[in-house]
Amino acid sequence: MKMANHQEATFEQQPMWAGGRSPFNVSYGKLMMWLFLLSDAFTFSSLLVQYGAQRFSNVQSPIVTKWPDPASIFNHFPWMHGLHLPLLFVSVMTFILIMSSVTMVLAVEAGHRKSKKEVVRYMIYTIIGGAMFLGCQAWEWSVFIGEGATLYGNQFGITEAGHKVFGALKFGDHFEWQPEYRTSGPVPFAALFFIVTGFHGFHVFSGVIINIVVTIMAARGVFDRRGHYEMIEKAGLYWHFVDLVWVFVFTFFYLI
Amino acid sequence: MEFYTKPGDYDAINYIPEAQSHGTKELWRTFWILLGITVLDFIIYFVMPHTGFRNFIFIFFGIVKAYYIVGAFMHMKYEKINLALVILVPTVFIIGLVMGLLYEGNALTYAK
Repeated sequence: MKMANHQEATFEQQPMWAGGRSPFNVSYGKLMMWLFLLSDAFTFSSLLVQYGAQRFSNVQSPIVTKWPDPASIFNHFPWMHGLHLPLLFVSVMTFILIMSSVTMVLAVEAGHRKSKKEVVRYMIYTIIGGAMFLGCQAWEWSVFIGEGATLYGNQFGITEAGHKVFGALKFGDHFEWQPEYRTSGPVPFAALFFIVTGFHGFHVFSGVIINIVVTIMAARGVFDRRGHYEMIEKAGLYWHFVDLVWVFVFTFFYLI
Repeated sequence: MEFYTKPGDYDAINYIPEAQSHGTKELWRTFWILLGITVLDFIIYFVMPHTGFRNFIFIFFGIVKAYYIVGAFMHMKYEKINLALVILVPTVFIIGLVMGLLYEGNALTYAK
């Protein structure tokens, strides 16, 4: 076989499926990250589908055993005690996560230009965003648990009286739950909330750890010596996936 | 046909394609789109009554956001079509699972 000009032949000129090259034109690590994210997408969708099935089994129930309206539970905002502010806090959380996604992708773009200083700066912004998101989630959980959420029961069912009062509430109204408004509701409600947001929060947590590790590597010049910043891209894929999952958690747990 | 046969000539495992920057303009545009859709979610939540149609809008917006995150932020638009299909096509199974289990969940109402 003629081997003369193999140095000149570019990667793209080789036959695609003949072996010895990646038919996807990506590195091994990046392909494996994509496949991991695909499997993780299946994991998260199985959790969300379970949530959907449980919720659909309560659609036609009478009010007292209906699936709780998220607006009646997740309506708190820090430093604004007693006000009915549904969706506001999670929207802030969503904004934080989108913002940290942008700084992450800016770090990836800086990595393409091999600009170490910019990579480290944007990675630090991303880590701060991730930590802020985790703090928000911890606050959300602590309020939810403080109101009586448990894995084995549900105190967030709403009575006819509560339904009447709650239906008339406007955004920003002063509001205090009375014992006669609430009753026991569908049991898996809080457990599903903890499992799905907890699993997502665990992903955010591990993403922050990964980001810290690659930031230290970048700051110490490891990627400069390697000659490429592909590790930032792989960490970025993971981080954006976490953002992607949050889009659906936000949609199914808070909006619908 | 010409390709490398000698080991070490070409190391497919360690091969890293030359990365090129596509600029930050598209990234910021994507950010504004995502932020705009989220604000729209917030407005629709308070303006529209809770109906199946509103849920449909929210799910549709979720899919639009997913398209922009995967396409622009995760660079899927610039990958080879092979890779995009390998990753995206298997997710159709999720749609089947959603349809099946929501139907089953509805039936559970009467089983309980």
